[in-house]
Amino acid sequence: MTFRPTEHHSGRRILATLLFLLAPAAAAGTDGFSAGELERIASHGPWPTEWMRDPGNRVSANAAAIHLGHRLFFEPRLSANGRVACATCHDPARGFQDGRATARGLADGTRNTPGLFDVRHQRWFGWDGGHDNLWSASLRPILDQREMGGSATRSAALLRGSAALACHYRQAFGKAPKATDPDLLVNVAKAIASWQETLASPPTAFDRFRDALERKDDAAAATYPAAARRGLKIFLGRGQCSTCHAGPLFTNGEFGDIGVPFFIKPAGVDPGRQGGIKRLLASPYNLLGAHNDDATKGNATGTRYLRPEHRNFGEFKVPTLRNLTLTAPYMHNGSLATLRDVVRHYSELDEDRLHTDGERILKPLNLSEAESADLVAFLESLSPEAAPPTPVEPPGVAACR
Amino acid sequence: MNKSRRRRHGVSVSGMLAALALVATAGVANAACPPNDDDGTVINKGDLLLAFKPLLKADSVSKAQRIPMARHFALDVQLCDRGGVSGAQLTKADASMPAHKHGMNYRPTIKPLGDGRFRVDGMMFHMAGRWQLAFEVQAGKEITRLTHDVQAD
Repeated sequence: MTFRPTEHHSGRRILATLLFLLAPAAAAGTDGFSAGELERIASHGPWPTEWMRDPGNRVSANAAAIHLGHRLFFEPRLSANGRVACATCHDPARGFQDGRATARGLADGTRNTPGLFDVRHQRWFGWDGGHDNLWSASLRPILDQREMGGSATRSAALLRGSAALACHYRQAFGKAPKATDPDLLVNVAKAIASWQETLASPPTAFDRFRDALERKDDAAAATYPAAARRGLKIFLGRGQCSTCHAGPLFTNGEFGDIGVPFFIKPAGVDPGRQGGIKRLLASPYNLLGAHNDDATKGNATGTRYLRPEHRNFGEFKVPTLRNLTLTAPYMHNGSLATLRDVVRHYSELDEDRLHTDGERILKPLNLSEAESADLVAFLESLSPEAAPPTPVEPPGVAACR
Repeated sequence: MNKSRRRRHGVSVSGMLAALALVATAGVANAACPPNDDDGTVINKGDLLLAFKPLLKADSVSKAQRIPMARHFALDVQLCDRGGVSGAQLTKADASMPAHKHGMNYRPTIKPLGDGRFRVDGMMFHMAGRWQLAFEVQAGKEITRLTHDVQAD
């Protein structure tokens, strides 16, 4: 028996074909994203993401320490000339950055000041990852002669000599600041770190889009701009950006060479991660050392298993892509002024600048003007619409006079 | 490999006798060999069976139960051969991204736990994509290399 389709059967077949063709779009919530893309979009959230207090810092999440750390962050008397505070470079009005290409404390530096929002989620600190914990990263600028030029003696004298600071210290650490100067310096850094842990950026337009897709709320998802949506497609696909800029923080927390020059004017080179690993392993303040408050050293896994490689030379940290609109200019040396410049860097990537034993997937993206604008629109959607306010101090801390 | 399986076999008289018979004729008998689904992924070369299972913190497990990227994890490894537990040693465990031409940023360590079992610490896939796990197993002077591709996301 031969089967001859009737008009009715043909219509059903056409309808079935149409449904089949439309199925991916329907599954994507009419946003045109494939199932794989939706899974990767979901992996960039939720935001804010979960955070656990730092086991290496016994005053992490301690209200009195946050109170003390807030004061110390804005305290210029920690510096050699009494005029440079942490907040001098990490300006709250600029996303805790300074807007300069390279930092300027007591003298000019060679690297761009990183913003501090969401710093509590990082594994490595500084462009070269020379620190494996936030408190040692906070201690270094106090001592650096080009930044604050302070000392353990100066920090300890400040704590002991200021009735208000001594009182806050007692509340935070449970005893008067009578420890040795080096130990007091570490505790100063731990209090400053505990305050920085409170610097959390709010959800963004991207986060609202991501959450809308998760709950299949097409109406809410539709409010995400079309340009940002197209830019997100490039970010996930052709750009392969999410290979490194992954997860809710849009970074894998590791390091890469993306062809940004590492020469320092007037002469010299910045070895990047290679130098960072050397500094880290030589530091008495790393997590393998005695100042780690986690007696199990279970938080020192990254440092314990580090594998120095030749390719580390010229690698710099993969930065978070959150809050970018607050923290221009960009790259470790602040050499790119705008997000458009950053996108152009990847679009016209100079492969001759890349390490011969470095990452092989980096290729020029050759984006059109319109595609570049879309990618910028997506990156802008990862920042809050307005600069978040400086966090208020936690309640419940008794006043110090 | 789980301890309850070992214990269950350990109290069985017939099991013990069978095990002793196997010891006399071949490798060291153990409930962990041959590996089963609880022991994770099983790969083989010749008579050698290698089972590995990622040990992840609960908050690191992705929806798809794949190894999540940029999170440290450990591996539980069991070596078996035709006679039961293999007497060979796991001498190297590492991973690389063939398409990217680079390996991990971390150097894992191997701790023998006895009965052909090993714990590998310090693993991390720091980029999304296809990684190739590579193991070297030494028995006497003979070195066997086994690889297996995994996806990190």
